[in-house]
Amino acid sequence: MGDMVLELAVDKFLFRFPADLFYSDAGIWVRFEGRRARIGLSDFTQQRNGDVAFAEPKQEGTSVRPGDEVAVVETIKVNLSIPSPVGGKVVEVNNDLLTAPELVNQDPYGKGWLAVLEIEDGEAARRALKTAADYLTLAKIQAEAEVL
Amino acid sequence: MKRKIPVVPCSGIGKSLGAAAREAAYILTEDLRPDKTKIVALSLLVMGDEEARREVAGGAAVAIDGCKLECAAKGLACSGAAKVHKVAVFDVVRRHRGLKPEGICDLNEDGLKLARSTADEAAKIVDDVDAEGGHA
Amino acid sequence: MPDLPRKKVGLIACSGEELAEGTVTRRAVRKVLETIRPDDTVTLCLPLFLAGGEGERAFARYYPTIAVDGCDKRCAALATEKYSAKPAASIVVTEVAKGCGCGAIGTARRLDESGMRLAEIVAEKIVEETDRLLKRKPKGTTRGAGREGR
Repeated sequence: MGDMVLELAVDKFLFRFPADLFYSDAGIWVRFEGRRARIGLSDFTQQRNGDVAFAEPKQEGTSVRPGDEVAVVETIKVNLSIPSPVGGKVVEVNNDLLTAPELVNQDPYGKGWLAVLEIEDGEAARRALKTAADYLTLAKIQAEAEVL
Repeated sequence: MKRKIPVVPCSGIGKSLGAAAREAAYILTEDLRPDKTKIVALSLLVMGDEEARREVAGGAAVAIDGCKLECAAKGLACSGAAKVHKVAVFDVVRRHRGLKPEGICDLNEDGLKLARSTADEAAKIVDDVDAEGGHA
Repeated sequence: MPDLPRKKVGLIACSGEELAEGTVTRRAVRKVLETIRPDDTVTLCLPLFLAGGEGERAFARYYPTIAVDGCDKRCAALATEKYSAKPAASIVVTEVAKGCGCGAIGTARRLDESGMRLAEIVAEKIVEETDRLLKRKPKGTTRGAGREGR
């Protein structure tokens, strides 16, 4: 993870967005690693939806288009269908989440990653996503709408 | 008089898991094991209340936390308990998939089920501790 | 300093489990947050506050708080002062109960009718202090959307 992290405070809630990641409107972060993309829930998404009890990415080998379900996350509050922020094939899933799903909450950008996808078109993928600053703007609107 | 095993719930007010932890502590200390356990308030412990600290000093204690932030376990660990046994409602949720607890002051039926299951698990720990003289 | 779109008051309840008054603090604070002043208040979780919760402590450092304690040990008020800043107001349920002549109020696990009424009275006191801190004219009870989980 790069050093710069953008922060957003709403009420007592503090949300963080590493500046070196990209973000979908659905609140999924993407770290591009060559021809691969590692994904997970943004800090805003994990705080908004509560303690993760189960996190189940699609099996390795599954192909998805942007927007297709790439994981199911069940929290104490809700069951979430996670739309893939990129198109590609799942090549790695985070098996630590089987026994420690709380990693999604405790370390959403580090140990709480969901899956790695081999992507088809990196440039197109980047263009379809938001930078940290743009995503922070969106998250601010959503957070304020919820708490106000 | 035999030492009662102190039970410290987190009683978090922001999540239903905290409410379930609190309810589990009452079920344990009032219904399941009233002769072996007693509730001790986390805030008194952490703020250094002498009476509360005497209750936990030198022996085993049970922390009942709502979530994995483990506020009660952390507070107990700094308050003189010889050993802290941890129970988390969150872990019980994972063993009873599909339950969605709601409510902070008044738990819904799923929340009450979780509280009862958590209390049952804590009661087994209490029995083990008691069998070992209350210090394990 | 956090950037808040509007000023809010943080409510911190002791939630003491050993006394019925501790349960009253919890019920009163949630009542204010969920139905009476949902747009003006947030609850700060005392166990999380004590365990080092940065959001809780940061909020209490920069914004007014009301500590609502069950008894005169005043855990919530003392913790807020110790880890952030002195609360702007402090309410102690045993003092409120004396003032309104409340007798027995049930148990810590289950408040009786008298205890529920005491929780309502404490909630009203919290609202008075909230309005004072936000420099609002007193207004009646307003109903807002429920705020589970805050």
